Amino acid sequence: MARLPEFLMWALVSTAPALAIGKPIAFANGTTVMIEYGAGTMQEAQIFYAPQYNYSVGGGHVEFDSDITTETVRITYARLNYLLHRWNLESAQANVYVWGGAGAATGNTFTGTEFAFNAGGQADYETRRIYASLKTDLQKANAFSIRVDTLQLGIAPYEHDYNQIATWFVVQARQYTDDIHHGTEVAALLRLFKGGAWIEAGVTNGGKLQAMAMFNF
Amino acid sequence: MNPCRALLVFLLALAPLAVRAATIEMHVNGLVCAFCAQGIEKKLRKLPATADVVVSLEDRLVAVALKDGQDIPDVDLRKALTDAGYTVTAIQRTETPIDAIRARVKQARR
Repeated sequence: MARLPEFLMWALVSTAPALAIGKPIAFANGTTVMIEYGAGTMQEAQIFYAPQYNYSVGGGHVEFDSDITTETVRITYARLNYLLHRWNLESAQANVYVWGGAGAATGNTFTGTEFAFNAGGQADYETRRIYASLKTDLQKANAFSIRVDTLQLGIAPYEHDYNQIATWFVVQARQYTDDIHHGTEVAALLRLFKGGAWIEAGVTNGGKLQAMAMFNF
Repeated sequence: MNPCRALLVFLLALAPLAVRAATIEMHVNGLVCAFCAQGIEKKLRKLPATADVVVSLEDRLVAVALKDGQDIPDVDLRKALTDAGYTVTAIQRTETPIDAIRARVKQARR
């Protein structure tokens, strides 16, 4: 398989203009809680509060467990998410988000606690039937530099409406740097959401569980 | 003031209320995800003149039922939708009761 950057570029071009992962900003005065179990290689929990629709503040905790080496890294961070631009189209919405923050990291390949910063971004496009997002997230300290790139493409078997349960079939491709995982991890996911609750679960090409739950209130 | 004249003044004062809209319908762009659109309902329900809210992704519609004798200025409606992250393309005041709009939306889903 081509390396992820080429694959992502191909996917973006081939799905354009029809190109979402949960969004890091819910709505003005809204709180988002997210918990993700990433195939045994990445576990993350986040909580964000959005004073306005275009930015949110909060923090999270992420743990990376290499399935190549014995490396484990745990980072607790504070983060600011910013909606760089939103396109509200007649039957679609597209967004570009960026974020950055800092925190403290511990791990088994270095001693003590290290200062770590994080930066990332997400572009997404969705209609009521098609959904796509591209996300990159970097966690960096003196002892490590872990970047996680995630592409999601989804299709809905029917057009959900407000107060109805939404169903999405999603294919996710993810790559990690820093020897967390070799190659591209592909997962097939079933996503369901209704009201302020979102759950998704599936299995990776390595037979591991990939799951996420998110709540807006 | 004689009673007839007082009654006339009273009725004239009530006249604007009699023609005031029962419901405001707004057409909204970007309304594609129910999970993301909750902020709209949350924001509109906080307005003091709001009695009820109906959201339809299918019709790209947000409808607000007004409390008796009350109104919400367009500028406040646009601000509420913008603060929720959406774009209002049209605002229309109607006499259609919110329950009729809700029924129409449910019918369209079938």
